[in-house]
Amino acid sequence: MKEKLDLLPGSLDLLVLHTLASMGPMHGYGIARRIEQVGADTLILNQGTIYAALVRLLQRKWIEAEWGTSENYRRARYYSITARGKRQLASETETWQRMADLVKRVLDAAL
Amino acid sequence: MFDSRRLDADLDEELSHHLQALVDDNIKSGMEPDEALRHARVTLGGVAQLREIHREARGIAWFEQWQRDLHYAFRLFRREKGFTAVAVIIVAIGVSLNTTVFSLVNTVLLRPMPFAQADRLVWITNGDPHAPLSGATSSIDTWEGLQEMSRSMDRIEGYSPFSVLQTFRLTGKGDPETISSVTVSHGLFGMLGVQPQLGRLFLPEDALKNAPFRVVLTHRLWLRRFGADPGIVGGTVQINDAPAEVIGVLPAADPFSSVFFPAVPVDFYSAVQNDIMRGDGNTLFLIGRMKPAITQGQVEADLPLAIAQIKKKYPSRGQYMAAVGEPLHDWVAGGLRKPLIFLWVSAGFVLAIVGFNLGGLLLARGGSRRREMALRMALGASRGRIIVQLLTECLGLVAAGSLLGGIVSWGFNGLLSTRAAVEIPLLQYLRLDGTSLAYTVALCLTTAIICGVALAWKLSGGWQMQNPLNEGSKGTSGGPGRSRTRNILVILEVALAFSLAVSATLMVTSLRNLLKVDLGFRPADLVAVRVDPPVQASQAAYIESALDRVRALPGVLQAGATDCIPVERDRSWPLYPVVPDKPNDQRWQGAHVRIVSPGLIRAMGTSLLSGRDFERSDEKGPPVIIVNKTLATHMWPTSEAVGHQVHFPPPIGGDNGVTMTVIGVAGDVLSAGPEQPAGGEFYLTLGQFTYSASWDLMVRTKLPVAVLTAGMRQTLGSLDPNLALTKAREMQSIVDRTLSSRRLLASLIGGFAAVAIGLCLLGLYGVVSYMVAQQTREIGIRMALGADAAGIQRDILGKTLALALCGLGIGLCGSVLSGFLLRSLLYGVSPNDATVFALAGASLLACAIGAGYLPARRASQVDPAVALRAE
Repeated sequence: MKEKLDLLPGSLDLLVLHTLASMGPMHGYGIARRIEQVGADTLILNQGTIYAALVRLLQRKWIEAEWGTSENYRRARYYSITARGKRQLASETETWQRMADLVKRVLDAAL
Repeated sequence: MFDSRRLDADLDEELSHHLQALVDDNIKSGMEPDEALRHARVTLGGVAQLREIHREARGIAWFEQWQRDLHYAFRLFRREKGFTAVAVIIVAIGVSLNTTVFSLVNTVLLRPMPFAQADRLVWITNGDPHAPLSGATSSIDTWEGLQEMSRSMDRIEGYSPFSVLQTFRLTGKGDPETISSVTVSHGLFGMLGVQPQLGRLFLPEDALKNAPFRVVLTHRLWLRRFGADPGIVGGTVQINDAPAEVIGVLPAADPFSSVFFPAVPVDFYSAVQNDIMRGDGNTLFLIGRMKPAITQGQVEADLPLAIAQIKKKYPSRGQYMAAVGEPLHDWVAGGLRKPLIFLWVSAGFVLAIVGFNLGGLLLARGGSRRREMALRMALGASRGRIIVQLLTECLGLVAAGSLLGGIVSWGFNGLLSTRAAVEIPLLQYLRLDGTSLAYTVALCLTTAIICGVALAWKLSGGWQMQNPLNEGSKGTSGGPGRSRTRNILVILEVALAFSLAVSATLMVTSLRNLLKVDLGFRPADLVAVRVDPPVQASQAAYIESALDRVRALPGVLQAGATDCIPVERDRSWPLYPVVPDKPNDQRWQGAHVRIVSPGLIRAMGTSLLSGRDFERSDEKGPPVIIVNKTLATHMWPTSEAVGHQVHFPPPIGGDNGVTMTVIGVAGDVLSAGPEQPAGGEFYLTLGQFTYSASWDLMVRTKLPVAVLTAGMRQTLGSLDPNLALTKAREMQSIVDRTLSSRRLLASLIGGFAAVAIGLCLLGLYGVVSYMVAQQTREIGIRMALGADAAGIQRDILGKTLALALCGLGIGLCGSVLSGFLLRSLLYGVSPNDATVFALAGASLLACAIGAGYLPARRASQVDPAVALRAE
């Protein structure tokens, strides 16, 4: 079995934004689950760290939060992406992909 | 930060929701409850740690973190007392100088003057504001005319600058005393917003021709003479043997005299009585208040127009009038703008030196802390955290220094504001106000941030490259980057100190040149004793018999009397030469006038170039006059002046004017002080001139002033038992007063330069000592290989001098620039004077040698065996 990956710094924020953009408003647990599902077994996620990412995104006004009731009738905090967050996601996605492309090209050429 | 508890609670609730959801899911997938909970906890992570991460992410922790840094910094300071003390004192010096200078700049230049609507006040002069007083002042007729015709002025008020030189004898309860006053227009105080502490100020009826003599006392006279008795208001005091009604007392802060008569103790004010002063010619300085929404440009256009209208409507008032207005604050502060700004810049230089010095000290200390920093980084501190930590330390040091500096500056301000002999307007209003404090805080923060950030950057970088943890204590690598930075800092210090030293030398040389100027009289060993003859006495007879008695005193060499001490009094009268075949040639000009007794010219030490002095017999003879060389050459360029005649037009020469014969030519006297060239002057004798005035007995003696006045009191007592003799001054101190602001400037710049050189010495010493410490091993090896101690010493001194010379090179450019700024303040010395530069350079090189000497000696005493074994 392959070794699991640590997240690169900053990538968690991007993943959270993306999740919120594609899935609509979610609570912290939902987001963590979703990221884990998509990342399958390749990712070590200390699920609690997601809350640090959420607070960072809140402070930058890329997402907003609202208290609501979860599917099993518990009080939970729901996060949703803002217009600014969507713009940020678009630009960061592009940067990320260009960077990934670049790294891949360099590595391919080296071999 | 303040709702952090709520945010923590929110997080706790979210986490517990998360945990519960995890447990639910785990149970759903078939785990036992215990197992499910344990598994959930692992997945989520430790709650305490999560809370910490969360706090840091939302930026709560910084304050607590910072408190911890501060605490750590203080522990460090307590451990390194010597370093801390030096750093704090250096900063305190820089901050106190800067705060004091800023307070001065703020008081004189920046802050509005302490008058009502100060920005609307206009200084109105009779054409040329820089003319001698009699040319710059305006007559009562001009004043009344402007009040009538001006469209831009709300009000125009005035005061008589001549009145302050007239003294009065105050008698009544207590010893007789000589007091001085200023005559002001009745509305002046009201316009300026001055309020009485007791009683009232002047009213229009006080200005009427036959109004009783009414006075407003200043606070200082009221305290000193009347024991702060509020009952004095409404009562009378005896001034010049006549009753004067006291209508009010001013508060302790007297903005009028502190602006217009700094360094003159004013005792009371009286009101201008238009009809009495109308015949006296130009006597008033006018201050106008612009109507709202009027601009300076409109004032400049309006005043000449008003003058033209006056001339048209009242042709009998004469044609010699003009009016020029400038903002009052410009007139008051104008002459001080350049020196103060220069002082400000110099203080900035001192602060920069302080900053560089502190930076150097911190870097040196940083050397011994690299291991600590590396350890902390290895344990996971981020570069940002370390920068904040170092900045905090730096801020702590600078804040402590600034606090100390602020206190010192407060003391300086107090000292300066009570320097009553310094002719700087508003000096009494000098204090640390909010603006000055804000300026200090800004200075403090700037210094801390510049020093701290530079240091932190330097220290927190570089570990990635090499690991000091492994380095041991090998002294060989001093961190080349850091010592280069320190060298640059110290070179900059030398450069700035050199510029300051050049400025200081230039200022001091100017002052010395001015002190050496031949004034045309000898102020040393000359005492001026003020005498106000009783009003009913014959002035000439009184003065003559007083002089006879004084001349007979043991220790008195010569004595004479004058109504006008050069340097102090500035008054001119018009006169023209009489040319027999051309009776209409009236090349009149204004010249300084002195009414004197026989013997005065000799007592002053002024030379008589030709002809003779006045004699007592002139009293009954034809009118005679003595002119000075400048006036003689101007009037009779081709022939000897003695024997020619001059004519005084009315009103000075009586209703028909008077013609006088020149009997002598005296040497020029620099009436306006050493910085102004001589002008025309003439002397009249008091025997021929019935004129009631204050007289100064000019006594040439080596006796101390107190001994002289005691002798005089005794011998003059039988002549006039009410004689005060409380105003006896050394002529030298009167001359010095004209140089007081220059002297203050020179001593401040000199002080700055001394501080700068001292700091430089410290900086150089630090750098060279560090260099020696770093090279101990190398020196040891060289000594072991046979290098001699003198050679090592020369080497170290040479390196010190090289640093200093680099600094001098850069400083040379700076000095040329500051010399350029200074040039209008210099006297008798060029801003590029080679001797001055050589002197300043030599003093800095001497300081460099001094700084290098101790470390060099230490280096030469290195014992090779010890140095090599020390590893």
